[in-house]
Amino acid sequence: MAAAMFGMETPSPSGPGPETNDGGGPGDARGFPSPAQDYFHGGIDLNRHLIRDRTCTFIMRVSGNSMAASGISDGDELIVDRSLPPRDGSVVVAVVNGELIVRRLHLSGGHVSLQTDDGGVPTEVPELADLSIWGVATRCLHHV
Amino acid sequence: MSSERSLYGGRIALVDVNNFYVSCERVFDPALERRPVVVLSNNDGCVVARSEEAKQLGIATGTPWFKVSPEAERWGLVARSSNYELYGDLSARVMEVLGRFGSWQEVYSIDECFLGLPGDERQLLGTAARIRAAVMRHVGVPVCVGVAGTKTLAKFVNHIAKRNPHMQGVCSLDSMPAGEVARIQARVPVTGLWGVGGRTAKRLNAMGIETVADLKAADPQLIRKRFSVVLQRTVLELNGTACIPHSEERADKQQIMFSRSFSTPVTSAEEMDQVMAVYAQRGAARMAAEGLSASVLTVTAGTSRFGDGDKSFPSASARLPVPTQDPIQLTRAAVATMRTCISPGTSYVRAGVLFTGLEPADGQQTLDPFVSDLDQRHIGDLLGSVRAKFGEAAIGLGQGGLAVPAAWSMKRDFSSPRYTTEWCDLPVVRA
Repeated sequence: MAAAMFGMETPSPSGPGPETNDGGGPGDARGFPSPAQDYFHGGIDLNRHLIRDRTCTFIMRVSGNSMAASGISDGDELIVDRSLPPRDGSVVVAVVNGELIVRRLHLSGGHVSLQTDDGGVPTEVPELADLSIWGVATRCLHHV
Repeated sequence: MSSERSLYGGRIALVDVNNFYVSCERVFDPALERRPVVVLSNNDGCVVARSEEAKQLGIATGTPWFKVSPEAERWGLVARSSNYELYGDLSARVMEVLGRFGSWQEVYSIDECFLGLPGDERQLLGTAARIRAAVMRHVGVPVCVGVAGTKTLAKFVNHIAKRNPHMQGVCSLDSMPAGEVARIQARVPVTGLWGVGGRTAKRLNAMGIETVADLKAADPQLIRKRFSVVLQRTVLELNGTACIPHSEERADKQQIMFSRSFSTPVTSAEEMDQVMAVYAQRGAARMAAEGLSASVLTVTAGTSRFGDGDKSFPSASARLPVPTQDPIQLTRAAVATMRTCISPGTSYVRAGVLFTGLEPADGQQTLDPFVSDLDQRHIGDLLGSVRAKFGEAAIGLGQGGLAVPAAWSMKRDFSSPRYTTEWCDLPVVRA
C-alpha cells in the first residue's frame, strides 16, 4: 500500500468515495465557480517536497542516539533514498552483519569507514566493494 | 533466430523478480540473505515461495509447513507468513520503475511484466542490464530479463537467464549463437514453455512432440486442429511471429488481474472511476466463481510513451479491511485507491487492477452485483457510519460481514512488519 507512505488515505469500507477524495480543489465545488479556480495548483504537498522519486524512497524509524549530534534522535523517522549515490559525508543506512544501521560515511584516500557522532568506534570497511549501502538518508523527521 | 520485428515494433522483454516474495522479505531483513527462506500461504498452511537455498534443500512449492517445520531448526530454515501489503507495495514500485524503460508495458502478474524495447541488438542488451540494475537500486530486489521478438520466446529466454548465472540475469535471444539456442530448445521439455500445461504436454508427447524444438518444428495448422488456436500461437511465436495480444484478464492461483489499454485515452477521474468499477466488479465475479476473497488490491495506470504529454505510470495498493469478494467494497477500494495516485487532465492509455492475498471464501453467499441499486440506497455509507461507531466487525455486506473471520484473526505467526504501508510498522534502523 503506497497509500500510507505517501500520505494517502487507506480506503475504508465505505469509502472515501469520489465525493470525499477529489483533491479538494475549488474547481470541484458545485455551483458558482470560484474566482481562484485558475490559480489553484493544490495545497502544499509534503510528499512532493520530501520525496524525489517514490519508487526508491522508504521511511525508517531510528533506534538509538549515537547520531544525535547530526539531529537524528531515537524515535525519529528517516527518509531514505535508495537510488542516491552515497558520497563522503553522506548519512547512510548501511548493512552491517545483517543489520540496518545509520552512520555517517567517510571516504578519504581509499579509506572507508562508517562513523557515529558520539565518538563511538567507527566501523572500518576494508574495501569500498565490501560496503553494503542500503540507502542515503535525505531528511530526518525529528519529533520536537 | 529470425530478425523480423514484432507485431508491436521493437523487441519484447519479459522481466520478473527472482523468488519475489522471499526477495521482498530480504529487502528489510538483510540477515535473510544466503539463508534458506520460505514464505507460507494464508494461515501459514503451505510453502508458496522459496529462496534458492530452500529449493536446494528439496522443499517443493505447496509443501505443507508442518511437514518441513520439524527440520527447520536443523536446516537453519526461516519461514515467513505471507505479507501481501509488503509484496503489493514493492510490486507497484518495481512495475513503475520498469514502466520507465518500455515503449509499452503489460503487467502480467505481481512479479512479472512484458515491456516493449526499441533499439538495435547492442542497445537492447545494454537496456536489459540497466533495467536489472535500476530495479535493484530502487527497490532492492533481483530481476531477470529475457529479450526476444515474441512473448513466448521472451519467457523462454528469461528462463535461460535464470538458469545461467554467468549471464548475470540478462539474456537476449538474438545475441545467442543460433546453434546454442537450438541445442537448448532440443533439451527443454515442452512443459518449459509459457502456457503449456501437463495435460497438453502428455497429448503432445503421444504425438512424438517432447521438446521445445519439436513443438517449434510442428505444423501450426495441425496443432490448431488437434489442440487449440492458443497452442498454434505458441508454435508461431516459437518461430518468431508475434501473435499473442496484450491480455485484459489474467489469473493464476495467487492473483487475479485485469488490465487493458484504452482505444481513446482516459483523462478524467470520473472516467477512470468507471474503468475501476468495471474491473473491480469483474474481479468480484471471478472471485465469486472461484470461491475466493482478496485481501489486497493494487491499481496501476499509465500514459503513452509517445507524444508530448507528461509521462507517468502511477500505482498504489490498499489492504481491504477484511478479505472480500464483495463488488461494492472492491469497487470503492479500487476507485478510491486510483484517485490517490492519478492526476486529472493526464491522458492515461491503460489501467489495471490486481487482486492478491487470495483465500478461500468459506462458501459464504456473496451478493449479486446490484451495485448501483445498493449505492442509490446509500447502504455503503450506512455501513461505513455503523463501522465508524461500532468498529470494523460490527456490520457488513456479504463477505464483508460477520461470517468472515477478520484479517487479524488469520494465522500469521511468522509475519514480517508491513514496513512500507503502516506507520507503526516502519523498519527500524539502529543509530
